[in-house]
Amino acid sequence: MEDKKNKFQIFLEFMRERLPLQKMNFETMVQKKEVPIHRMSWAYYLGGLTLLFFIIQLVTGTLLLFYYQSTVSDAYVSVEFITLYVKSGFLIRNLHTWSSSCMIFCLLAHMITTFAMKAFDRPREITWITGVLLLMLTFAFGFTGYLLPWHQIAVNATKVVLQSIEMVGQYLPGSLSTFPTYLKELIQGETSVGQATLSRFTALHVVILPLLFFGVLGLHLLSVQLHGMSQGVDKPTGKKEKFFPIFIIKDFWVWGCVFLGVFILAQCLPFESFSAYPLFEAYNSLGSTPDGIKPEWYFYFIYYPLEMLPFWVIMIGQVVAGVGLILTPWIFKHTSRKVLGMIAWLVTAYLVIITVFGPQIYEVVKGAH
Amino acid sequence: MRAVVISALLLFVYQVQADAYPEFQRYSKEVSGRPIDCAICHKNSDGPEGLKHGQIGSLNSEELKALGAARRAFKPGANVKNPILNEFGNSILNQLGKEKILMLRQHPELLSAALDPTSDLDNDGITDAEEFEDGTHPLNPLDGKPLKLFKNNLKKNRFDIFMLILATGFGVYGLSNALLWLSSKMEKKE
Repeated sequence: MEDKKNKFQIFLEFMRERLPLQKMNFETMVQKKEVPIHRMSWAYYLGGLTLLFFIIQLVTGTLLLFYYQSTVSDAYVSVEFITLYVKSGFLIRNLHTWSSSCMIFCLLAHMITTFAMKAFDRPREITWITGVLLLMLTFAFGFTGYLLPWHQIAVNATKVVLQSIEMVGQYLPGSLSTFPTYLKELIQGETSVGQATLSRFTALHVVILPLLFFGVLGLHLLSVQLHGMSQGVDKPTGKKEKFFPIFIIKDFWVWGCVFLGVFILAQCLPFESFSAYPLFEAYNSLGSTPDGIKPEWYFYFIYYPLEMLPFWVIMIGQVVAGVGLILTPWIFKHTSRKVLGMIAWLVTAYLVIITVFGPQIYEVVKGAH
Repeated sequence: MRAVVISALLLFVYQVQADAYPEFQRYSKEVSGRPIDCAICHKNSDGPEGLKHGQIGSLNSEELKALGAARRAFKPGANVKNPILNEFGNSILNQLGKEKILMLRQHPELLSAALDPTSDLDNDGITDAEEFEDGTHPLNPLDGKPLKLFKNNLKKNRFDIFMLILATGFGVYGLSNALLWLSSKMEKKE
């Protein structure tokens, strides 16, 4: 009993340090908050930018819902109607697509810089863990949203991902081996990707994931505001600026410029133009599958290794990376910022190379076999 | 009687080789490096043969008549509407005539030069001939070489973009000043 009480007390102490609610007042969280100025100060704007893109997603996504029909017979036509006939429909849809990619880009950059600056260090573990959860939720947004237009690439790419979930079963022992198939059927809702899948993905994309995201985001932002900005570098310059109003004003200017950039992109460059048109034809279960089916660019880091390496290697890699990400504050507790910076550069190099040159690397490897 | 005529006509149609000219599709695919299907000229992405929408087997008697007329359009300017072709396919047929198209089968690289250099069916600012070379769809305004589309749309929307730059600039400037004012008020209170 005594031991249990002690454990509970230890947990309470842990939480009190991570979420110091006594600091939850306007004075500490806004008026007296300061932002360090150093060579990595630019990284403090990345979290805000991710939030900006999330807000754009929320607004444009809500507007799209006025016309989108989540049935296999009407989904494609409704998206086509939005794009070609609804006033500003093309702009809204393209803004939604561009900002989803920008959100993932900023989130990854935010995460890598946070890692390099050791901003996950005690007492910011909860900020880090909620950040990892937000990253996972954002990928889930990307995956579920990809199916909704119900075109060739959407349906076929979803099938590929669901098949890879099922493949995990062969590496699991005993009755556990049937779990991935059960999970796949749970997500899919029927024997193949169809109406049940579309309904489930819509519910996830439009209701469940946003609600989860709001909850985790709230905790993340609260934790950020309670602890303030992390030091970020080993040798602080000693220079600081006030969070309110100086940093917020700068943040708004960054938001303004980035919003302009994304708006111009959305107005002038259809996101679909980067892929061949047969991929965006209506899905036809009886028709031939076009060439070039692949997931969105932000899944290349897992998709190309999956195409080139044995499945079990990817599976182990994914588990290690997932657990490693969650436990980062404890694994790298005593690691210097210099080493963290080097790891961050390596991760960045991998992500850039596999995303930009993934198809070429795949061709070379495939040719060698 | 009508059913017999239609059936005989259908049988005749099946026996005649469907008018698919994959040389053009192959050329566009090769030169652009993009995967292209029959939908670049045909109504159905799986080509003209079959029973699906836009394929010969699905045509009614009126459409079969139109198909026959299109097959006899050997000279340019026949103004026919082949029911198995899309607007771009029909545009090629009416601009060049079947005779020229059959000649170009041996030299598909000459097709874009033979087409009207001003024709832009999807109004995306990229001509149909260019789209054929680029392997993008001449009837889809969202499909085109990204840089070309960006330049054309930037030109088309420059007024909107200029107004947005002004609105964003003034908006953020106003907001910044409002925050500065609020901050000074708070400091005074302290």
